[in-house]
Amino acid sequence: MKTLRRYFRPEQVRELSLIILLAAVVLLFASQINGFLSARTFTRISTSVAIIAVVAVGQTLVALTRNIDLSVGSIVGFTAYVVGTQLARDTSLSPLAAVAMSVAIGAVMGAINGALVSYGRAPAIIVTLGTLAIYRSLLVEISGAKTVTVDSLPQWIKDFPRADFLKIGEVDIRLMVALAVAIVIVFHLALTYLKFGRRLYAIGSNPEAARLAGLPVARTVFTAFVLCGALAGLAGFMFLARFGTITVVAAQGMELQSVAAVVVGGVNIFGGSGTVIGALFGATLIDTLEQGLVRWLQISEFWRDALLGLLILLAVATDAILVNRLRRLWVQRDLTAGPRQSSPAQEPGHVA
Amino acid sequence: MTATLRANTAVLEMRHISKRFDATQALDDVSLDLRAGEVHALLGENGAGKSTLIKIMTGIHAPDAGEILLDGRPIRIPNAMQAQRMGIAAIYQEPMIFPDLSVAENIFIGHAERSPFVRWGQMAQRAEEILGQLDVKLDARMPARGLPLAAQQTVEIAKAISLNVRALIMDEPTASLSAHEVEQLFRLVRALRQKGVAVLFISHRLEEVFEIADRVTIFRDGRLVSSRPVDQVTPEKAIRDMVGREVEDFFAKTSAPRGELLLSARHLSKAGVFTDIHFDIHRGEVLGFAGLVGARRTDVGLALFGVEPADSGEIVLEGRPVVIRSPQQAMQLGIAYLSEDRRQLGLTLPMSIVSNITLPTLRRYTGRLGLLNTRAEQASAEHYRERLSIRAPSVRVEVSKLSGGNQQKVMLGKWLNTCPKLLILDEPTRGIDVGAKAEVHHIINALAQEGLAILLISSDLPEVLGMSDRVLVMREGRQMGIFSRAEATQERIMAAAVGQAPPSPSS
Repeated sequence: MKTLRRYFRPEQVRELSLIILLAAVVLLFASQINGFLSARTFTRISTSVAIIAVVAVGQTLVALTRNIDLSVGSIVGFTAYVVGTQLARDTSLSPLAAVAMSVAIGAVMGAINGALVSYGRAPAIIVTLGTLAIYRSLLVEISGAKTVTVDSLPQWIKDFPRADFLKIGEVDIRLMVALAVAIVIVFHLALTYLKFGRRLYAIGSNPEAARLAGLPVARTVFTAFVLCGALAGLAGFMFLARFGTITVVAAQGMELQSVAAVVVGGVNIFGGSGTVIGALFGATLIDTLEQGLVRWLQISEFWRDALLGLLILLAVATDAILVNRLRRLWVQRDLTAGPRQSSPAQEPGHVA
Repeated sequence: MTATLRANTAVLEMRHISKRFDATQALDDVSLDLRAGEVHALLGENGAGKSTLIKIMTGIHAPDAGEILLDGRPIRIPNAMQAQRMGIAAIYQEPMIFPDLSVAENIFIGHAERSPFVRWGQMAQRAEEILGQLDVKLDARMPARGLPLAAQQTVEIAKAISLNVRALIMDEPTASLSAHEVEQLFRLVRALRQKGVAVLFISHRLEEVFEIADRVTIFRDGRLVSSRPVDQVTPEKAIRDMVGREVEDFFAKTSAPRGELLLSARHLSKAGVFTDIHFDIHRGEVLGFAGLVGARRTDVGLALFGVEPADSGEIVLEGRPVVIRSPQQAMQLGIAYLSEDRRQLGLTLPMSIVSNITLPTLRRYTGRLGLLNTRAEQASAEHYRERLSIRAPSVRVEVSKLSGGNQQKVMLGKWLNTCPKLLILDEPTRGIDVGAKAEVHHIINALAQEGLAILLISSDLPEVLGMSDRVLVMREGRQMGIFSRAEATQERIMAAAVGQAPPSPSS
């Protein structure tokens, strides 16, 4: 227990509890639904999680700095549409160029958010609420309310969502899923081993101290928004590949899903703590619950949002209770191991 | 490193520094130098300009005039990060730590290493080395959240050392530490001095200053009054320099006849805040509360008003013991409290004078249908506008449009309208101009004449002395004594406030 406490933070223990919860949910559904534990279920849930997980990674970066990005849904939709029309117009566009274009569009939109928040000093919730509407209107304006259709797209992008990265027996691990997992791992490593990552945590943990410590607060927050936008752009590409048909309401509500994934995944919405792996687990848990409940209790789609809301509340409540408990446990040990009342200097009788 | 730092060479020199904020001249032509291997103490009353100087040294503010020299070369300190790179670090009364990061990360977060990577193992090891040098046992891998204040400060000192600090500024680092923790901190300060660090030490505790400092500089009203080696300074001299000015005569105290006993506070204590506060207050009496920042005077006021009730002790009001658990209850008992923070806590700025004045007493203006009788509200507001001479074109004017002095008067009107027996005034003249100040003093006199008991919390020493019948002095949550008007001199009060005098026996 002692070494456990030394090398893990309370927040990491919380991630462990998320895995246990996920396992429990899967077991529950497996016992209730015929054929739930199947390769098909895995493929369906994993592909669906892949897109939201990429968005959630970006949302995590922003949330760590005590900010929020509500415009991600609009960025996903906008990118999917613009890149979709471009591909329809010019079918010779290479896959790499299409991906680069998606990421670039997202990054620009993220940069606008970031500039307004960190240099314009406007609250993120207001800025991104504004750009949520603006980016979506821009999409409506550009599209003229027309729809990108599957038939107009080149074959390679239609094949992409069904392409396997790995096949273990019956279980397909789609390329898209592998891509999402790779992004989670890359960003997890970046948050852990790059100074940039440490700065995100520091800024969210105590903005005033970050300023006094001379950290480049504005630049770091700006970068977080740019990355969040770029990841949303990438998710836009994945969205286009998966659905093919893109209307003006594409990816609407994804901001709520990403915030939910992040919060359920144990990222503190007030900044300073949480991991992208947690966010991935959060996204997976939500999606598994949604899909399972639809199949088990035939819950209508309309109730899924309510369920999502309930989950957020539940997550925040457990977060508050559990993490506080754990922290108290940690601190107690800390104090017993801390500087002792009897420093050698005050015990002249003892010679070490 | 020590080779380049010959003892007593100036590391950081501030020459003829001036800084103005709107109407206040925060610093006026101040020169001061920090020398290698020397602890330089800076003393001064609240608002003497100490904080402004620190902010200039750490790159948070830029001076309006003057020169800063580092190792004899003129420099500009554009921001906090540059200050750190130059080797200038500051430690504040409230440590600036990142609760979610580990101790090691806290120490190394500001580092300007070229590599973008975090090497966890190495970082923890180096953190433990530094903590080891300081002879403190702290697990560098633990999150900093929940560490005791003293340990947090140690982390900040370790951070300064890791940055190869040349000049370390300590802004009241001992204010929230226990005696034992102060001793540990001093051990660290001495070690730093040994290493040739130049330390600027700011404290309100004179005995600490005399224990640790090599040189003592005193500021008053933004000017440097004196700067001498510690052996040429006595506590008495220091206090005189801090206080300086004479009591202005415009505090024309008109003594009201002392009425019967209104309220007795009996051994009030609140864990970690204040201890054993014990006083009586009579009708028609002005009881002053003097002390420096951090003396916890406001907390006593908040306890009496039920905002943050005391843990133990007793409040006896008109002979009956009462328990005050909420402001509503306090108001019903006839206690009113004017917050020192007019803008945040006292007034609703976007609302009119009328709405502000009747806010705590709305029930009185509510008719049978739950509708407000606006005519009665208006009449009350007009009454106070006249009585307190609030200068405003109409009582419908938004309070935010009024001057500080007039805002203060609106707040007074608001609380007088609750018909209080005891009025707690917390810094009633802070930030208002001289004319309005005199008017507020006049009003205080008049209210005392009418038989109100007034508890006057003020950091303006001449004001407390001029207005009060008796003065209670607090220091770090403790009552240092109660002085009668005849006993209360500036020197005596200041001595008690910095802990230099034995507590007065009278109470």
